[in-house]
Amino acid sequence: MPPAARAAATPVVDEARTTPVRHRDRVIAALHHEALDRCPMQLSFTPEFAVRLRADLEARGLVARSGSGSHNPHGGGNTYELELALDEDLILTSVGWANSYYQGPDAYTDEWGVSWRAQPYETPFGTGHYTEMVGRPLASDAAIASYRAPDPDRPELYEEAGRVIAQLGGEYYIVGVTVTTIWETAWALRGFEQLMIDLVTEPDIAEAILEIPFQYHLRAAERLTEMGVDMIWTGDDVGMQTGMLISPALWRRHLKPRMAELIARVKSINPAVKVAYHSDGMIWDVIPDLIEIGLDVLNPVQPACLDPAELKRRYGDRLCFWGSLDEQHTLPFGSPGDVRAEVRTRLDTIGRRGGLILGPTHHVQLDTPMENFWAMVETIQGRTFPAAASVTGE
Amino acid sequence: MADLEGLTTSIETGDRAAATRATQQAIDDGLNPQAILDAMTAAMNNVGGRFQRNEIFVPEMLIAARAMKEATALLEPLLVAADIRPEATAVIGTVKGDLHDIGKNLVGMMWKGANIEVIDLGTNVPPERYVEAARSHDARIIGISALLTTTMTGMGDVVRAVRDAGMGDVRIIVGGAPVTAEFAREIGADGYAPDAGSAVEVAKAALAR
Repeated sequence: MPPAARAAATPVVDEARTTPVRHRDRVIAALHHEALDRCPMQLSFTPEFAVRLRADLEARGLVARSGSGSHNPHGGGNTYELELALDEDLILTSVGWANSYYQGPDAYTDEWGVSWRAQPYETPFGTGHYTEMVGRPLASDAAIASYRAPDPDRPELYEEAGRVIAQLGGEYYIVGVTVTTIWETAWALRGFEQLMIDLVTEPDIAEAILEIPFQYHLRAAERLTEMGVDMIWTGDDVGMQTGMLISPALWRRHLKPRMAELIARVKSINPAVKVAYHSDGMIWDVIPDLIEIGLDVLNPVQPACLDPAELKRRYGDRLCFWGSLDEQHTLPFGSPGDVRAEVRTRLDTIGRRGGLILGPTHHVQLDTPMENFWAMVETIQGRTFPAAASVTGE
Repeated sequence: MADLEGLTTSIETGDRAAATRATQQAIDDGLNPQAILDAMTAAMNNVGGRFQRNEIFVPEMLIAARAMKEATALLEPLLVAADIRPEATAVIGTVKGDLHDIGKNLVGMMWKGANIEVIDLGTNVPPERYVEAARSHDARIIGISALLTTTMTGMGDVVRAVRDAGMGDVRIIVGGAPVTAEFAREIGADGYAPDAGSAVEVAKAALAR
């Protein structure tokens, strides 16, 4: 364990509110490969886990019982009550198609024309819902030419970001979220299999569709950067568990130039802004490309797909990392001891000499035991949170 | 003149026009339908291997499967006439609560490509539907897919339902991003396919047991 993390492992109950280290400084230091008091932490939650967490935090006296916080894991429409209570270091505010997730329990069509419905699932902690796409506006070739994407310049899209920057920007590290930047929104518009086939048989059609979300999210990223966010979080899932969805060659032809343009544009607005790229899964082959186009931070580093220690060895001098705590196995199915061990392993490997924002590789899911959640938070922060007066046992 | 090697190559590269042309030529030349079928399954076998080795990816697999499907459609009547049957029948579906079907579809394509008949139950499939479909189609394989940690535990319910129904000779294969070999063993599945490319050999090994 690096010295800074070891020092932070001593319980410092109730000291967080008086610590001189600002959340924002903690993140900036980590991204400069320096460690302040502890590794920065970022967490998001599925809506039903957020409800459970809220009840837990109420019982611990960490949020007001009268609060009416809603939680959008991507940031859009979020009250940030849970994030602040947990002493998270990064605050997310989102503009883009990713806000179409979790819009409600009833079937809906988002402003892009993608239709959704909520699909229930059962866990030991109750019933959850994922919103899943069921209809695609560009399924037919004929629809492509006449399609009009939403307008990314509507002022109301940026009101929340303005509030977040004004109210939290001094203390917290503010992330402008424009994930599902190109590929994921395009597949929502076109349909997954058809877009895949287009890439190899009708590349002109694929290009036309990819350009639609790219232009939207590029504009959103530029505006968020102009407003003063510290980081732009971009990216698309291009990895499966064992390999990439599309070949590195196709990624380089269709996605890399666009991502390069986005990074260059936001850095021309603010050279200090950091850019994070998200892709689930195994994406070893394109990491050097991402470094080449100026990427700062790779997210979420799924440890079952990309070995975090090996990533640090190979690229740790040129790239920072965000995530790395296993949401596929350890958090839902491990013991609190497994979770603590994984956090410590990350701090000792991928988190050595900074360069890491720790968090789960996905929104914390409803199947995660609360004991595991707290084992993660308390081990990262090196302190014990106030116990609940009467937390219901799980 | 019929070119079975060319047929294999055209399916492997997803060239459906060439694949259907080569199939029609082979049929017109009076080649043994089994030999034509073997040339097709050889192609998909290569596709599966190359996918496993990360030499090709999902788009290439999709267009190969599409070429296979169109070529097989031409051959189908001859296979029926010659009484050449699929090696086995498989029932496949994404587990209850889960709507993700990409992985399940890829496995279905690979199984079809290996001359296994595939009954696709779609997504969000409750345990009893796997049982009913396996029974009514006399299936020897049940394939269960899940993308989510929150739904993969439901795979155990399917295994129990199949065992409770006394279908001892049905082999259950599981797969999906969070699924591991250890989890497959724990729930009593007969096989675990880490990717669509390996699903054929996993199914064949389970059938051989």
